[in-house]
Amino acid sequence: MDANKKVGLLRQMLLIRRLEDEWGEAYFREEIGGLPPALSTGQEAVSVGACAALGPGDFIFTTHRGQAPQIAMGLDVKRIMAELYCRRTGYNKGKSYHITDFSRGVVGMGGIIGAQVPVAAGMALAQKLKGSDRASLCFFGDGTSNEGAVHEAANLAAIWTLPLILLCENNEYCISLPMRAAVKVANIADRAAGYGLPGVVVDGNDVLAVYEAVISAVARARSGEGATWIEAKTYRLGGHLVHDPQYYRSKEEVAARWEHCPIKRYRAQLVAEGLLTEEKFTLLEAEVAQEVAAAVEFARRSPFPAPEEAFEDLWG
Amino acid sequence: MFDKRLFRPGERVSPEQQQWPSIRGAINEAMREEMRRDPTVFQMGQDIAKAPPFGVTAGLLKEFGPQCVRDAPCSEVAMLGAAVGAALGGMRPIVEFQFGDFISVAMDQLTHQAAMLRSLTGGQVNVPIVVRLPCGGGQGAGAQHSQSLYSWFVHAPGIKVVLPSTAADAKGLMKAAIRDPNPVLFFEHKALYRTRWPVPPDYSDPDFLVRFGQAVVRKAGTDVTVVATLAMVHHALAAAEELAAEDISMEVVDPRTLVPLDAETIVHSVLKTGRIVVVDEAYLSCSIQSEIIALVTERAFGALKAAPRRLGNPGVPVPFAPPLEDAVLPNKQQIVRVVREVVRG
Repeated sequence: MDANKKVGLLRQMLLIRRLEDEWGEAYFREEIGGLPPALSTGQEAVSVGACAALGPGDFIFTTHRGQAPQIAMGLDVKRIMAELYCRRTGYNKGKSYHITDFSRGVVGMGGIIGAQVPVAAGMALAQKLKGSDRASLCFFGDGTSNEGAVHEAANLAAIWTLPLILLCENNEYCISLPMRAAVKVANIADRAAGYGLPGVVVDGNDVLAVYEAVISAVARARSGEGATWIEAKTYRLGGHLVHDPQYYRSKEEVAARWEHCPIKRYRAQLVAEGLLTEEKFTLLEAEVAQEVAAAVEFARRSPFPAPEEAFEDLWG
Repeated sequence: MFDKRLFRPGERVSPEQQQWPSIRGAINEAMREEMRRDPTVFQMGQDIAKAPPFGVTAGLLKEFGPQCVRDAPCSEVAMLGAAVGAALGGMRPIVEFQFGDFISVAMDQLTHQAAMLRSLTGGQVNVPIVVRLPCGGGQGAGAQHSQSLYSWFVHAPGIKVVLPSTAADAKGLMKAAIRDPNPVLFFEHKALYRTRWPVPPDYSDPDFLVRFGQAVVRKAGTDVTVVATLAMVHHALAAAEELAAEDISMEVVDPRTLVPLDAETIVHSVLKTGRIVVVDEAYLSCSIQSEIIALVTERAFGALKAAPRRLGNPGVPVPFAPPLEDAVLPNKQQIVRVVREVVRG
C-alpha cells in the first residue's frame, strides 16, 4: 500500500470519529431525537481496513453500527448527517437510521441483527450467477454470531461456494453481555471450521492487519474459491448506544482499553514509518472537523420530509 | 374437484379433463416460460430439483440446470434471505417452501427485509421475489402442514398476496408475480394441485397475465355475495348450485389477490345483493374474512339487509384425524347453511 493510501486510512478513521462525536453531541443537545446514536468509537479500524480491500461492484451489508463502514466506502458525510438528522436530503430520504447508498454498494440493514448475513449471501449468489468476479461482505457482531441467520448463511455460503466475506466485528459486548458469557469457543472464528470455511482471527484495532485479512478473503472470493469467515477482535470504547451508562463494566476496564485505541496506534505507526508529521496530523484533524461541521450545517438547513412522503416508496 | 389424496400416486383424470392443465401444471408452465424469457429468473427450494414434493417444479432441472434450479438445504432463513439478496443483485428468485407453514421460520426475512427494504432505503432498491407456499387442509397433513396463513401477510406492509383458484389464474398470476418488482407470496392450495380446469383461448400466449387487484365474479347472483378464495371458491360454487334449487341466487366473488385487494368489485356486488358471507380456511380472528367484512361495512353499510357473516377455522390447530379436520375447516354444507340463514333471516 502506498503512503498516500496509508495516510488516507487514518483520515477516514478520524472522519468517522469526528462525525460520530458530533452525532452523539447532537443527541445530547436534543437537536435530534429518536433512537440514540450507535457509535463505533474504538472500532474504526475494522471498517476502514475492510472497505479499503473492496472495489467497485463489491457490496457491503452493515449493522446498526453503520456509520464507520459508510464513511469507509466513501459516502458523502453531508448526506449521512442529513439522514441522521432525519432530513429528506439524507441517503434514505429520512426514512431509516440504517443508511443505504446502493450505487456505492452499501446496504444498511441494522434493525434486526443478523438479517443482513443471509441477504449478503444472496447478493454473493447473484454476483456468482451473473458470472462477475465481485464479492459481498457482511459485518456482524459477536452477539449476532449467535443468531441462527448467521449459521444458516455461513453454511449456505460454504456449500454453494459463494464470494462472501463474513466479517465478525467482535467488540466484546452484546449491549451488556460480555462475549465470554455468550460464546464458549475461544475465538468466534473457530466456528468457521464447522461450516468447512476458513476462519481467520485478526487484530481489529490494527487497520492494516484487517486490510490484509480482507484482501486475502476478497482474492479467494474473486477466484471462485468461496467464502471466508474473519473475526476482527476489537473493543467498544463507548456504550451500546450513546446514552448507555455502562453499569455492566468498570471505568478502569474501559480506560485501559483506550490505550489500544486504533487511531492512536495507527497514528504512532505512521509517524514511526515517517509517513506522518505532527503538522500533517493537525492539518488532517482540522480538515475532518471542517468537513463534519459543514455536514452538520447541511443537515440543519435541510428540510424534514413532507408528511405525505411517509406513504411513498413502499411499492416498486 | 377436491383432491384429498395428494400424497398418493395416480391421478384420476377423465378423458374430457385430459386436455386441461392442472394447477400444478399451469404453475410449472408459467415458471418455465418466464425462465426462458428472462435469464435472471431462477429457483431455490428444498428438493425442488430432483424430488419436487408436489411436482410443481418437475422437469425444470433438466431444462435449466442446477445453477438455476437450486436444491437448498433445510435453512428457510438463509434461503429467503438469499432470495432477498439475489433480488437486490438483479436476479428474480422464485423460492418454494415445501409447506407454506414453514414461512413462519423465515418471518423476519419476509416481513422486515423483503417487504421493507424498498421503503427504508427511500426507494433505492426493489425486491422482486416470488415465494411459493403450498397451503390449505384436506390432506390429513396435520397442524403445521395445513394452514392458510395469508392473513398474516396482508397485515404486513410491502407484500403482495396471491391466491389462484383455477389453472388459468395460476398461470397468469404466476407470470405476473415473476414480472412484479415487489415481493409476492403465491399461495397454492394442495387440494387443487392435481385438479384440472378448462382454460381460455389465450392461455398459451407468452404474455398471458392476470393482473393483480382484479377480482373475478365466478358466478353472478342477486341475493347474497359470497367472497371465497382457493378451494373455498369451489365449495361456494357447489353450494350455489344446491341453493339455486331453493331459489337462492348466490354471487360468488373470488378476489384472486388479497394485496392488492379489489374492494370495488366486492363492494359493488354487496350494493347489489345487500348481503355478504366471506368464507376462507384462515383462522377467523383478525383474518382476511374480518378485513373484507370491515371494508364492506364501511363502504356499503346502508345497503346491508342482514348482518355480514364469516366462515373459517374458528381458531384451533388444523387436526390430523380426518373427522376432526373436516369439523374445523369450512365446507359446502356450512356455506349452504349460513347463506340460508343470511338470506331467509
